[in-house]
Amino acid sequence: MSTSTIRTAQAEVDRPAARPGAAVTIRGAEKVFSLGRGRTLQALAEVDLEIAEGEFVAIIGPSGCGKSTVLRLAAGLDTPTNGAIEVFGDDPHRLAKQHRLGVAFQEHALLPWASVRANIALPFQVAGRRVDKARVDELIQLVGLVGFEDARPKQLSGGMRQRASIARALALSPDLLLLDEPFGALDAVTRRRMNAELARIWGEEKITTILVTHDVDEALILADRVVVMTGRPGRIRKIAKVDFPRPRGFETTRSPEFHDLVDELTALLDQVEGVDD
Amino acid sequence: MTRALSFLRGLVHLWPVVLVFVAWDAWVVLNGYTSTVAPRPFPVVTDVVIGFGEYLPYISYTLGVALVGLLGGTLVGFAAAVVVWSSAALAGVVTPAALIIRSVPITALIPIIARIVGYGDPAVLTSTVLICFFPAFVFTLSGLAAIPASGHDLFRVLGGNKLQVLARLGVLYAVPNLMVSVRITAPTAVLAAMLAEFLMGAHGLGALFSESRSYMDMERAWGVALVATTVSVFVFLGARALENRVVARVT
Ligand SMILES: Nc1ncnc2c1ncn2[C@@H]1O[C@H](COP(=O)(O)OP(=O)(O)OP(=O)(O)O)[C@@H](O)[C@H]1O
Ligand SMILES: [Mg+2]
Repeated sequence: MSTSTIRTAQAEVDRPAARPGAAVTIRGAEKVFSLGRGRTLQALAEVDLEIAEGEFVAIIGPSGCGKSTVLRLAAGLDTPTNGAIEVFGDDPHRLAKQHRLGVAFQEHALLPWASVRANIALPFQVAGRRVDKARVDELIQLVGLVGFEDARPKQLSGGMRQRASIARALALSPDLLLLDEPFGALDAVTRRRMNAELARIWGEEKITTILVTHDVDEALILADRVVVMTGRPGRIRKIAKVDFPRPRGFETTRSPEFHDLVDELTALLDQVEGVDD
Repeated sequence: MTRALSFLRGLVHLWPVVLVFVAWDAWVVLNGYTSTVAPRPFPVVTDVVIGFGEYLPYISYTLGVALVGLLGGTLVGFAAAVVVWSSAALAGVVTPAALIIRSVPITALIPIIARIVGYGDPAVLTSTVLICFFPAFVFTLSGLAAIPASGHDLFRVLGGNKLQVLARLGVLYAVPNLMVSVRITAPTAVLAAMLAEFLMGAHGLGALFSESRSYMDMERAWGVALVATTVSVFVFLGARALENRVVARVT
């Protein structure tokens, strides 16, 4: 057990215990970064969030409000300064050790010397498994990189790199998928196509997913719940439930209910940004 | 036609070489040196061209020692850097040793090396290895330190261990740095080999130089210097070409 869990045993008393079937439980998580010379920066203040197994949660919020920090906590890359985080009832880093975690980083993190194919095959190799060539080919097709299998990252556009990074995150069919603005560099059309593909994969495999995005439409097309965060220190401002039937095609995105929700969340973001500046 | 033209244009780039020869000749003539003090370029070049067959075994020996020493020193430096990177305890042992090797001038080290590994060929090779060791060590270490945080993060979320980080990430991030080290040490390797040969070797350009000097064959002695310079330049150019290719492959 991590020390942070022990330290906040007190705080846990009045918080609901993790429900069985919860994939990710974040309780009272704070994150304070030390900036050196005694200066600190509080990135997160008291974040509470519970994500059920198979649920798709989108996080939106202004730049610098701590969205990536939340993902890093869930990935076990950082530990909370205060509070506790559990993933499938265990320390977050355990999931990575078991090769059950898929992450697409904000800045792709592809290996520069390896081809697209080799980058997507990397999770198999690190896990010590035989590379499933059929799976790799399927993913290449899925993210629309057919014809670029042997290209290296520097030969790809920003959006293509992001797509390769998503394919890599999906390679081992993870139990938890963390996506940090994966479609940020894509044009609107490709973005919608990738949204549809992601919705389809999620529909088939029901991978518990946390998606960080700036695009309210995207959040509403994909997520079961949308978390709106405010900045400095980061907190959760609102959690909106999204009930539109799936698959969410044009009928959904053109519906007035959809537009109302987009407007509501956008207004919330505007407010948040206003306060922030 | 255009081929010939670009060839001529290439020749124009050789003006510093021409300048060296002109300055050399002027220096000898203006000072009125006799050929036992300093020979003029023409007889030296003639000696190299006509006697090239006699130079050849010496060239190949020195070149061989320099290349093997370069390879060996680079590998040892690389290995030492990997050890230092992976273990703080070992870093405390290896780093001071590396620094000591670095701080003692090679000319002072050669007699000691000869005492330890044996006079002649083994000492020549060991000196060359030592000269190439330190840059490879330092450059590899800085390459390993430059693994981006995102790379470490990636291997953590993939559940990789430290060995995998090293093999799949560290080695490849260190390679461009290692190639810089090869490029800058390659001419030094030739120099170190020659110096060791000069001091105690029976083979190689260094030995040929000391031999011809003791026979007062100044054309040959200067010819050795000329040939050694040329060999150094080619080794450097070769290392640079290799560096360009390798770096293009891994970045
Ligand atoms: N390692 C770190 N050291 C110090 N401060 C950090 C560190 N990582 C993040 N921060 C700070 O924490 C805050 C939240 O950062 P985070 O990356 O989570 O924001 P974000 O919501 O993902 O922003 P964006 O939308 O621009 O990606 C920022 O103010 C950032 O400067
Ligand atoms: Mg971010």
